[in-house]
Amino acid sequence: MSAIKSHQLRKIWAKFSEFMVFTLPLLVFLLILYGTLVWNFYVSMANWVNINADYTFTGLKWYQFLFGQSRFWVDVQNNLKWLILGVLPTAMAAIFLAYLLELAPFPGVEAYVRTLILYPVAMSFVVTGTIWSWMYQPEKGVFNTILGSLGIQSPFAFTNNPSTATYWLIVIFIWQYLGFSVIIVQSSFRTTELQEMIEAAIVDGASKLRILFSVIIPNIRAGILVLVSLLLISSLKVFDIVWIVTRTGPGIATDVLATNMIVTTYDQRLASAGAAIGVIIFLIAFILVIPYTLYAFRKWFE
Amino acid sequence: MKSKNTTLKLIVLVVLVILTCVYILPIYVMITNSLKTLPEITQRTYLALPDQPQFQNYTAALFGSRDFLIPMQRPIINSTIISVTVTFLTAFFGGLGGYYLSRTKSTFTQVIFILVGIALYLPYQAVIIPLTTITAKTGLINSHFGLILCYMIINVPLASVLMGTFFLGIPRELEEAAEVDGASKIQIFFKVVVPISLPAYASVAIIIFTQVWNEFFIGLTLVSPKTQTVQVAMAMTQGSTISPYNLQMAASLLTVAVPLLCFLFLGRYFIRGVLAGALKG
Repeated sequence: MSAIKSHQLRKIWAKFSEFMVFTLPLLVFLLILYGTLVWNFYVSMANWVNINADYTFTGLKWYQFLFGQSRFWVDVQNNLKWLILGVLPTAMAAIFLAYLLELAPFPGVEAYVRTLILYPVAMSFVVTGTIWSWMYQPEKGVFNTILGSLGIQSPFAFTNNPSTATYWLIVIFIWQYLGFSVIIVQSSFRTTELQEMIEAAIVDGASKLRILFSVIIPNIRAGILVLVSLLLISSLKVFDIVWIVTRTGPGIATDVLATNMIVTTYDQRLASAGAAIGVIIFLIAFILVIPYTLYAFRKWFE
Repeated sequence: MKSKNTTLKLIVLVVLVILTCVYILPIYVMITNSLKTLPEITQRTYLALPDQPQFQNYTAALFGSRDFLIPMQRPIINSTIISVTVTFLTAFFGGLGGYYLSRTKSTFTQVIFILVGIALYLPYQAVIIPLTTITAKTGLINSHFGLILCYMIINVPLASVLMGTFFLGIPRELEEAAEVDGASKIQIFFKVVVPISLPAYASVAIIIFTQVWNEFFIGLTLVSPKTQTVQVAMAMTQGSTISPYNLQMAASLLTVAVPLLCFLFLGRYFIRGVLAGALKG
């Protein structure tokens, strides 16, 4: 009787210690993280407009305040540009490049290209932004100097032209993320099933382009989903590039939600409005990662 | 899939040339101009090599000079302390959490997994005000612990998923054999799983280290003079009014040196970590 009991006790103790070691640390970190998220949500509905916190409930006042500002809608437009132009060209170029590398007729090309385009992954946007802002400078910049020495009077003001500045910023993003995207696409090429299907298509005499569009792309949907989700989130969260290269300028032409959040919170000292922008960015990110999270969930627990 | 097609060769060559220009130019400009004198910079011959490499530019960027008022030495030390601490602790806790996520399938685990999944992509803007408040109230903001805590909170979910992905790929036979021998789960983890997962730990450590070293938003918000990170210091050198370009480029190189060397020498682990985060998590 007591033998059974002590056996049970030992079992409970084992379960308990496993919980303490493996589950609890992760739970504690998650608890703090989600605690701050909820806390921030509450701040967005409070009335914190100065250095000192003020938690008086004001409902959706600050959301209405934001929606009434033209700056907010400039941000939304710019974020949309980032989401579309930061993701689509990068993903398409990555698929194209990865396919070229698969076909590569010369030895060593793959290793060379990988290192060449992947090194920016190790660099921070602060440094990349610093270099590129120098390259972009209209007067003394690297690009315009080079174009000038070729005898071309450069038509580009790059990031100094408010109507195109955001696009030039997105170019930096694409430059930085292309290598990362290529290796993700490449690894989704490398399944035995896909390789067999490609072999079969070659035997059938299909052209290379046809193989890409009717065999490869439909069969790497999962890889594309992963890639597109990661790029969407990264371009939604973009802060560093804008802050370093244009500091949201000229005027507020390149402002995005993430930079507006900092300006609102720390320069204008409207913490509640800043928190509301944070909530909005979170909600957009949440919606964008739903398909990816479901996919990962199914794969993990299959 | 190898081909001898000439058009294909041509396309590959053209693409190679374009890529080489586009990816070499920024780093070439950065390195050559970091070695030039100020008069050389003002001549605007950016593609020319320096007459005489000015290696003292790096000492100027590191320790400060009359022209360069933001010595990078202190920020580099700060970032090293913060990144290394965060990397070790996060890999450790991430390993534990990842083992839990990869070895149980209960509803509770599934809920935790979803919470972790959302946390992976949490925009920092959505938590920064509470994080600032916590670190300010507790006084942690004045020491490295403030940033260390924040980075850990944000990176432990990521490390858990990455480590869990690797653990999912480990055959269970080893663990089952140890279990038959009467070892507890905790003993199995530390004596069987961890030793064969060291390459995975290396991958995760490199990813976390690079991410923390390169992080700017939180560093900027929670900045205090004593704990200023390398990215924040780098951002301050921006604009030719504050610092001449040659020194600014030297500072840039100092900023990227550590993660770039990691990438060049440990690229294999780096790529494996990126893929683990991308494909299976």
